[in-house]
Amino acid sequence: MSSIVSAQETFTISGIVEEAANGETAFGASVYLKGTSIGGMTNEYGFYSISAPKGSYTLVVSYIGFQDINRELILDENQKINFQIEESSTQLDQVVINVDESDKLSIRDPQMSVTKVKINTIKKIPVVLGEIDIIKSIQLLPGVTNNGEGSGGFNVRGGAVDQNLVLLDEAIIYNTSHLLGFFSVFNADAIKDIKLYKGGIPAKFGGRVSSVLDVRQKDGNNQEFHLTGGLGTISSRLAAEGPLFNEKGSFLVASRGSYAHLILKAAGEKNSASFYDINLKANYNLDENNKLYLSGYLGRDNFNFEGGFSNGYGNLSGNLRWNHIYNDRLFSNLSTIYSKYNYDLILNIFEFDWKSSINNFNLKYDFKYYASDAFKLDFGLTGIYYNFNPGVIRPTSETSAINYFQLDTKKALETGAYINAEHRLTDKLTAQYGIRFSSFLRLGDQTIVTYENNQPVVYNQELGIYESGTPTGETFYNSNEAIETFGNLEPRISFSYQLNNSTSLKAGYARTSQYIHLLSNTVNVTPLDVWTPSGPFIKPQLSDQYAVGYFKNFKNRTYSLEVEAYYKTVDNRIDYIDGSDLIGQNTIETEILNGESRSYGLEILFRKALGNFTGWIAYTASKAEQRTLGGNAGGPGINNGDWYNAVQDRTHDVSIIGSYQLNPKWSFGAAFVYQTGRPVTYPNGQYEYEGLSIASYSERNADRLPSYHRFDMSATYVPNKKPNNRWKGEWVFGIYNVYNRKNAAAISFGQNKETGANEATRTAIFGIVPSVTYNFKF
Amino acid sequence: MKRILNSILLIIVLFFSACTDVIDVEVPTEEAKLVIEASINWEKGTNGSEQTIYLSKSTPFFDTNGNVPVVGASVVITNNNDGSFFEFNDQNDGSYTTSNFVPVLNDSYTLEVMSEGETYSAQETFMPVVPILEVYQSTEKFLPEVLEVNFDFLDPVEEENYYYIKFKEQADTFPRLLDFKDEFVNGNLISVFNERQENEDINQVEYAPGDTVNMELIGISKRYYEYIQLLINQSESGGPFDTTPVALRGNCTNQNDPNNFAYGYFRLTEVAKASYTFE
Repeated sequence: MSSIVSAQETFTISGIVEEAANGETAFGASVYLKGTSIGGMTNEYGFYSISAPKGSYTLVVSYIGFQDINRELILDENQKINFQIEESSTQLDQVVINVDESDKLSIRDPQMSVTKVKINTIKKIPVVLGEIDIIKSIQLLPGVTNNGEGSGGFNVRGGAVDQNLVLLDEAIIYNTSHLLGFFSVFNADAIKDIKLYKGGIPAKFGGRVSSVLDVRQKDGNNQEFHLTGGLGTISSRLAAEGPLFNEKGSFLVASRGSYAHLILKAAGEKNSASFYDINLKANYNLDENNKLYLSGYLGRDNFNFEGGFSNGYGNLSGNLRWNHIYNDRLFSNLSTIYSKYNYDLILNIFEFDWKSSINNFNLKYDFKYYASDAFKLDFGLTGIYYNFNPGVIRPTSETSAINYFQLDTKKALETGAYINAEHRLTDKLTAQYGIRFSSFLRLGDQTIVTYENNQPVVYNQELGIYESGTPTGETFYNSNEAIETFGNLEPRISFSYQLNNSTSLKAGYARTSQYIHLLSNTVNVTPLDVWTPSGPFIKPQLSDQYAVGYFKNFKNRTYSLEVEAYYKTVDNRIDYIDGSDLIGQNTIETEILNGESRSYGLEILFRKALGNFTGWIAYTASKAEQRTLGGNAGGPGINNGDWYNAVQDRTHDVSIIGSYQLNPKWSFGAAFVYQTGRPVTYPNGQYEYEGLSIASYSERNADRLPSYHRFDMSATYVPNKKPNNRWKGEWVFGIYNVYNRKNAAAISFGQNKETGANEATRTAIFGIVPSVTYNFKF
Repeated sequence: MKRILNSILLIIVLFFSACTDVIDVEVPTEEAKLVIEASINWEKGTNGSEQTIYLSKSTPFFDTNGNVPVVGASVVITNNNDGSFFEFNDQNDGSYTTSNFVPVLNDSYTLEVMSEGETYSAQETFMPVVPILEVYQSTEKFLPEVLEVNFDFLDPVEEENYYYIKFKEQADTFPRLLDFKDEFVNGNLISVFNERQENEDINQVEYAPGDTVNMELIGISKRYYEYIQLLINQSESGGPFDTTPVALRGNCTNQNDPNNFAYGYFRLTEVAKASYTFE
């Protein structure tokens, strides 16, 4: 069974694997030749290619939740075979979360630190207000946390919120939450599956150092027209999908909108907050080797306050893709992508508005070459052109006291070229090795300030504080010039060693670089935070991550255990000087210092994936800390130059999820989460000044909020399960935070407004919250 | 600007039925430090000769008595431009006074405090301020139909100006403090208003006819602006949209031991005062 290369001819079988019922391409289905070690998995577009010596074989197509296909074939020429897989009736409604779809192949795959989640799994997890949320669901996995309710974004392995590359059909999404983190921007009705890389990021991804969240939309049913939707406590959804072009293509349009503000308005509440989003996907099969896809997303949040200000922000993205199959072994995808994030703040009381945005155009060309059974190569190129508008302030009336002000717009070009090999070295040892060459040009048509001694920020020895440096002049760069250029080589390597059929050890190393940064000096990121490119004063973040892992399946894949340990360092992580003010700041370099961060941890995930009862236990023990020395500015740095806890540090993080299918009508879900409290800086004394009691503080992030824990439950009732009924509905009842724990989102210190005594006030966002949602499919 | 945005975000968060409770929390305690409240205010229309400086010690955060006066210290201010100096007399209750201070706008002054074997010094410039032009009331600036008090002033266009503004009505436990710079409004006629919102939890009511509000417009240095802005931002700190709170560094440094600096600030400022009674 080893590599018999020479005399024998090899032939290739390739094709697309789709779901029979609706034509959705199957990502990660296993296609292999029974009794051999020859096989592979379908890519994002359902494409597979396997090569084997001439002979007769049984080809197996296997995908969790679907019936296996066994096809006898004689391999004596290259063949193109497409497969339509049928859902497995014994496993309908079963929830499964699985790294990969086939026992042997997943154990052997050197890709580690990744989790792939099917949307059906996410739909069964009880959530606040019944709003299905991908971002909240991934936090139930080891190594993923966030700053709690009311905070946007998520943290992976101690990384910061801006270090995650979030892609929706390959378009970059800059802000992943609606209403400051209460809900995510992903409408579950439009999503097919998600893949989260916590480490070991493959060479084809670049630009962020902590993770890649790859979210793929459904293609749309290419056989029948369907409507799906739901009516919830806070928002409702409606999605339509169906065939196009005589079943040569399909489309999906999904929309979601909140209406709590309308109800409140009717009740006399003058303030309102609302959001909506629209997802679009369409595809067209030109011929058997060419397919076109069009994806789009528009999401918006709106706040209106009686006091005379309103705030709106959101993402917009679009992607046109062309899949081209050159031959049995060479698959390619060309994408042209546009995405934008912007926000507007309209302050009627002060008669001005403030707009800020980030735009990018992206061109990507990716190839995968299935050279042989033991060797696959992927390579490609990408270029992203960015336009940053940190803010323009415009008076909205003649009498406004505010003057017009435009913060410098910034332009940049980021490129990447990569090559990566998946190589089965021996029967037991498989390796994945690759390298990415990335570069970043900060382009001109901008004026850059120069500073005395080249110090934009400088330590004042006498007062013990950091201050802005003294500007000595300006340099203008026109649009043909590059203000600064960066280039990085990013090797990515991982190995998998198979101990036996169900156990493997994996190890990996990855170097990643990040050229754009989210400027945020607040504890939680806000929608008003601004992205900024690297340049003369801000260096790219560079990360090295090492990971080792142990993976085991038990009892025919019913149970699985994954244990991973990681160590990650990031150079050039900026932090802000004390008292920094970023709002309307045109010269950010006067407010920041360059530092570093490091994190390490142990992640354990134990899962039961099959049966009437499924679920998992995830435990992570970790540490995330930062150090920011004075560096070029002189002085000790932040927190005296000592390491301090990063805001995302959580010593212990436990999630226990369970789902039980009682009978065809009733199923139940439960979730328990426990996390060490977030690091905070508490006061260590008080004194009187100007009639107020002023708090003094010392070590940054040395204290902690009380620990966070809660228990959620849900029950799903499907009224009549007559399979011939066109209309299918289900009721989902949920209770979030069943024992009503007031988890502290923040603890603030101040004086009691009546007595003047100092007191601590805890802000908790959600107590016990019941919800009812009705979901339907037509 | 920053505080407006922080307030907006906090309102949004609280909008979602967040609840706030006063709770017991254990906090660490540092060694007591000297606090120097040296605010030399020259009210327009007076001669500014009577001045008081307060010295006290910091205490543990939850102590009900936040004011521990420091006596027996020596407090002297020197005018660096003409060498004249002013000794402040110990009143034995933490306050140190003089009645022959000579304020000169734009002169540089140095403060020296000697207490318990340590010497602290600070240097600042006497900052002028423009007069208040008009004081009036309105109701439409923020919440509709709620009384607001306003005052106008004209920001000088030829310089960078920083302001510290106070509003206090008799029933207020604390004054309302604002920090302001002319960056986006240089040279314009500035109108500042204050409105009090109803809040049953703290027995706060809106302004009513007959209430008298005392207002101060204080011209300050850039350094003091940064200090007071941080102080105001942190006076209710710990919220999710706040920056990490830090110890406020004033301008009073300890010559022998830089780590044992004094809290508080030495400032010299001209003050425009006004008062308005609602009709």
